[in-house]
Amino acid sequence: MEAFRLMKELKANFEQEANYLPKEAGLSLIESTQQNGNGISAKCRDAKVEDLWSLTSFFGYGTQTFVLAVNLLDRFLAMMKVQPKHLACISIGCLHIAAKVLEEECNVSTTHELIRISQCKFTVSDLSRMEKIISEKLNLQFRPVTALTFLHLYHAIALSHTSERKETLNLDKLEAQLKACLCRIVFSKAKPSVLALSLLTQEIESLQSVDMQEIAERIQAHLKIADSDLLYWRELVAKCLADYASPECSKPDNKKLVWIVSRRTAQHLQGSYYGPELPTIPEGAWDESESEDLSDDASSGEECLSSSLGSDAEGLYFPTHYCSKGRKAHTS
Amino acid sequence: CSLSLPPVAMSSAATTTPSVDKVDGFSRKSVRKAKQKRSQSSSQFRSQGKPIELTPLPLLKDVPAPEQAELFLRKLQQCCTVFDFMDTLSDLKMKEYKRSTLNELVDYVTVSRGYLTEQAYPEVVKMVSYNIFRTLPPSDSNEFDPEEDEPTLEASWPHLQLVYEFFIRFLESQEFQPSIAKKYIDQKFVLQLLELFDSEDPRERDYLKTVLHRIYGKFLGLRAFIRKQINNIFLRFVYETEHFNGVAELLEILGSIINGFALPLKAEHKQFLVKVLIPLHTVRSLSLFHAQLAYCIVQFLEKDPALTEPVIRGLLKFWPKTCSQKEVMFLGELEEILDVIEPTQFVKIQEPLFKQISRCVSSPHFQVAERALYYWNNEYIMSLIEENSSVILPIMFASLYRISKEHWNPAIVALVYNVLKAFMEMNSTLFDELTATYKSDRQREKKKEKEREELWKKLEDLELKRGLRNDGIIPT
Repeated sequence: MEAFRLMKELKANFEQEANYLPKEAGLSLIESTQQNGNGISAKCRDAKVEDLWSLTSFFGYGTQTFVLAVNLLDRFLAMMKVQPKHLACISIGCLHIAAKVLEEECNVSTTHELIRISQCKFTVSDLSRMEKIISEKLNLQFRPVTALTFLHLYHAIALSHTSERKETLNLDKLEAQLKACLCRIVFSKAKPSVLALSLLTQEIESLQSVDMQEIAERIQAHLKIADSDLLYWRELVAKCLADYASPECSKPDNKKLVWIVSRRTAQHLQGSYYGPELPTIPEGAWDESESEDLSDDASSGEECLSSSLGSDAEGLYFPTHYCSKGRKAHTS
Repeated sequence: CSLSLPPVAMSSAATTTPSVDKVDGFSRKSVRKAKQKRSQSSSQFRSQGKPIELTPLPLLKDVPAPEQAELFLRKLQQCCTVFDFMDTLSDLKMKEYKRSTLNELVDYVTVSRGYLTEQAYPEVVKMVSYNIFRTLPPSDSNEFDPEEDEPTLEASWPHLQLVYEFFIRFLESQEFQPSIAKKYIDQKFVLQLLELFDSEDPRERDYLKTVLHRIYGKFLGLRAFIRKQINNIFLRFVYETEHFNGVAELLEILGSIINGFALPLKAEHKQFLVKVLIPLHTVRSLSLFHAQLAYCIVQFLEKDPALTEPVIRGLLKFWPKTCSQKEVMFLGELEEILDVIEPTQFVKIQEPLFKQISRCVSSPHFQVAERALYYWNNEYIMSLIEENSSVILPIMFASLYRISKEHWNPAIVALVYNVLKAFMEMNSTLFDELTATYKSDRQREKKKEKEREELWKKLEDLELKRGLRNDGIIPT
């Protein structure tokens, strides 16, 4: 039976997941590092992961690629003491490795393009060297078990049980939520199976499906996940998702992106400022020394200050015919 | 805009032009003309052959004060004599005399006190009229491209400049009294002045601009008339001739007028904005006066923000479809408008506005795309977009995503990344939704494409089989 097979696969992955966890001590160190300190701070890492997400989206890579890249990054940062100035190179390197493993060859962007778009300062050879180091240190095995793996399995299990039901779990939505969580280093400490289950149960709760709740409980029992663990992570997940879904916009506090424009456009932008040279003429200006209008317009009874139409105004503003122009008669 | 070339000289067999006169099939004359500055001619009639004699008068500073007023008038009368500058050799001594007299008058008007009697006014106006009012000769009509060619300059500029200078000082003089002057500076005078704005000589137009600005400021009774005449000039320019050299200068004057509008704005002014200034954007030679026009528009909107919607809708209606240079100008102007827009007004036009921006961003002309993308570098515009990202992002998303994959220009692709990243950070939920929808749409399209191809292939196979079955001959 399909469900049985899936449960077996689930158990197998569950047993593997510990191999791909970043070292907790390393992660804690990052969390406690000050922003401008010697090492990588949590904010630094989070900002970089957000950049990776932008790049993933831009190049059209799949969620798996992103999740793998973050996993590699976290594992690397947790085991090595890294200077902040190398962080960009490391993160791009992880993304590139992940793309090469998971994406079709034709869809993998070149290192040159990666560097150009991400506006990084290092060179192609820098990147290649970094990738080699990462590969060596992490002793890369293909397809590590990640939270996404579990998410897909849970989804498949739920699907196999609820074929008659109308409400299905939206896998895309769950993936998006997972991505949002991965942008916070705190979630890298969670076991992937637990993190995925937290996301699953959150969604099920919002759908208010009793059947699905049952399925989730069965999974929890099957994997022997403690209630306390699940609750703990669910709370954190809830908070994170609340921020993610909030209409409030988050302004990035990392560096501003560079806007490089062509020379012609740059010239156009510079030269476009036009400042007035002629002094402003106030409407209905009243110069005290010039009394001519007052004496002339007294008969028309107009308020001189408010009116801009002098005594010479002629009826319609848009005449139906052009008035004849006076021709100068020049006599020498 | 390309240089328009004169027609090739057709030479009949009888009159053969020597080959040395031809350069690449076009007569030498046109090539030479491009390098020379030819002076304008003025169509004034002068009795030929009679040399002009003016009796030299003493200097004003050398004459006792009570006599100066009369001497001033006599000098003015002398300066009414107009000389022919097309003939560079005639009346050189007298021309120099007039020039130095004019110079003297300029100084005199600037520093003196008590010189301006009632009799002086008509003499001043007469002298100025005699010198500046003339029929402007037609330009080398079809050939003069204001954007490319050198303008033909006024030959009598040595005198003309001083006359303008003098007139301006006269108008600005402390003693100047509009109540007296208005008898002589009247509608007829203003009309002739406005005609001169068509002069090809930019120096002359610059002076005219100052003159008209001062007249508008001082003669309240002439203001409505001046506005109406400018109105006519612009309407004629837009809808009839598309030829007038002084549009930029007139717009500069209008800028200072608009800046001074009292609130609430009069209906007349609003009409002018909608019926004249907006259509002015459609003219081919927009680049010559666009900066001034944009300034006027923005001034209007700063006076009355409620005009924002009609203005932007007007610009969108007249959005250039085949001229990329104009499109870039429009984008520049639009950004200036957005710089001062009120958030409530922004919300009213954001949909049609960003639909157009979305089209610009996808333009294969890289300068247009670049200029449009650069909006996202504008902090104020960004804040407006952020507040309304749920409306704007869906409009922009598809084109941004598509050009990130398809645009030929790598610099554009890099800018698109900046924009997408900004959107991602603004509203992650919506962005993810749109990405998912876009991807599934694309997959569905690809699937349909594949199905279509397979269908065709099946048909092909069927056709082949049928053909082979019948008579072994494959039908063509």
